[in-house]
Amino acid sequence: MPRSWLMMEQSPNPGKAPYVARFESIGRRLPTTRLATEELMATTRHRTRVDLERLTGIHEHRVAAEDEDSLSLAAGAAADCLRRSRHSAGDLQMLVSCSITKYRGGLDTWLEPPMSLAVAQQIGATKAMTFDISNACAGMLTGVFVVANHIRRGEIDCGMVVSGEYISQLGRNAAKHVRNIMSSELASLTLGDAGAAAIVERAPEGVTGISVAGFTTVSEHSRLCLAYPARHDPGARMFTKSRAIQRVAIADTPILMQEALDAAGLSITDIDWVIPHQTSARAIRKGMKDICEALGGEPRNEAVVTVDHYGNTASTSHCVALVEELEAGRVKAGDRVALLALASGLEIGIILFTVDDELVSRYGNDA
Amino acid sequence: MATTLDLPAVVMGRRPVHRSARKLADQASRAAIENAGLQGDDIDLLLNVGIYHERNMGEPAMAALIQEDVGINPEDPHVGGHGSFSFDIANGGCGVLTALQVADGFLQSGAIGHALIVASDAHPGHGAAPGFPFSPSGAAVVCSWEDGPIGLAGFRWESAPEDGYPFRSRIGFEHRRNVLRIEKDADFETRAAPWAAKTASSLLADHDMRPADVDLVVASPLTVAFLEGLSAHVGIGMERFLVVEGAEHVHTAALLVALAAATEQGRLHDARRVLLVSAGAGMVVGAGVLIRG
Repeated sequence: MPRSWLMMEQSPNPGKAPYVARFESIGRRLPTTRLATEELMATTRHRTRVDLERLTGIHEHRVAAEDEDSLSLAAGAAADCLRRSRHSAGDLQMLVSCSITKYRGGLDTWLEPPMSLAVAQQIGATKAMTFDISNACAGMLTGVFVVANHIRRGEIDCGMVVSGEYISQLGRNAAKHVRNIMSSELASLTLGDAGAAAIVERAPEGVTGISVAGFTTVSEHSRLCLAYPARHDPGARMFTKSRAIQRVAIADTPILMQEALDAAGLSITDIDWVIPHQTSARAIRKGMKDICEALGGEPRNEAVVTVDHYGNTASTSHCVALVEELEAGRVKAGDRVALLALASGLEIGIILFTVDDELVSRYGNDA
Repeated sequence: MATTLDLPAVVMGRRPVHRSARKLADQASRAAIENAGLQGDDIDLLLNVGIYHERNMGEPAMAALIQEDVGINPEDPHVGGHGSFSFDIANGGCGVLTALQVADGFLQSGAIGHALIVASDAHPGHGAAPGFPFSPSGAAVVCSWEDGPIGLAGFRWESAPEDGYPFRSRIGFEHRRNVLRIEKDADFETRAAPWAAKTASSLLADHDMRPADVDLVVASPLTVAFLEGLSAHVGIGMERFLVVEGAEHVHTAALLVALAAATEQGRLHDARRVLLVSAGAGMVVGAGVLIRG
């Protein structure tokens, strides 16, 4: 067995995993309510003197309405994904829900039954094996990794990865406690709500699809970001050492990205789009600059940033950004995309895939 | 070649004394790795399927904390080493069986050589779960891809149509604090048993097996009501079921507790075909089969 630092799968892998997996459709559900960072910061109990908008580049967030929760956002995204897809819910053989938040009916966190079953029941995916994955903001890409493994081996033809994050309520709780720029709850004020869903299917012959997927957990940093239900407030609180996470991510990502690129026979200059986890616009730009310096080259386009107008939508952030780029027609058939997960754990994951014309056409654009 | 399971390790906490689910998981993981004759760094993938742990932490995955505690390649990437990947799977009482399928997939594709599956549950502490019904318990097992004596041969899953959820677990805000409430209808097991039997029968048919071909059934939950109901509906006598005294309140670790008992009693060693069955909230039911090569 090859010994890379990443736990990695690559296509083709004749014999053991002869098929290729690809993204067939990606959907999202964004709440319509917008909350400007300025408005959010005006709700802090203490006079923080923090210019969060300047610090993060986040101008506004999407926040769930009273009748929305993790389940409704996930189910809404799943419906959007199916609407674009040639599959119906009955085709799905696996459905994996990957959200951090599991709110149903307001701020009740449901631990059992799993969220995946509730989503499957809402969209009518009656034949799907269902389970939840919990891997912080790397959840959805971990789900893609697992579903793609089943597809590559021929175990299933088609599965859905879904997540609904009603996570802005952590910001409401943080607003009561943040005192200054050093607060460990400052990152909670960057969060926004969204649902996302992706159908992963067996690719037709000749389609490149997902060529490499690799993940690792640098667990000596596992306690840099922790979230719990709040003791005396509804919802949850999150405590983050943001600078330490950023430092580790910048130090560790280049060697892992290089491994993934080597496995695909590519260099960073061959990549058209890098979609990193959406933490803050400033952190993404600074991080990508450092990573590119370490890799000795740059992707063909600037890193995709959507956090400036949606906030950090946790596990949904990559798919939310990918839909944005597809709808805008910026991502085209033949483009190589690197999805870069960076999450509490510390989880680092990379998925390299090539966009095909069928995927592009689902967003009303020509190849 | 197939996915093989080493001897599972089981660590039981004392009821009703609170014990850390993470520490139970850590202990079980270390013991399971030792049972497999491996070092922590040999583990490529760690899957945690426990649900109830300290303060009901939602982030990061508990698996990452266990990985660090046990010392499974926790360090930053560097030349000459290799990393490990950890995450949590949540599927109620079917977590272990789900993780077996996920681990089996990555072992089959050659992405990993060894996976560690760990399950543990304990009271989350801070008075946040009045009436918490489960025994503090942890269990872990190492799965490997090798020419072993008996290997995983397939899985089947079903979920019952929405029926009001006879098993519900949720954290809600009550009287100015977040409280975990776990509610199980008295007839949960008797309603789950026929679904589990249907799934198990489909799996046996997939492998051209009849109930009479099954030498041993290892099933969870380990309650008499479920095991007897499953026995009756699937048509396999209770004498071929694994019953573990005092384990009826073990939650996600139950399947591994039963597998450990089967191994220790020598019943796994003598079996050619072993049926694994789990039922969990939802209801979600799953079945797997171990076949001696």
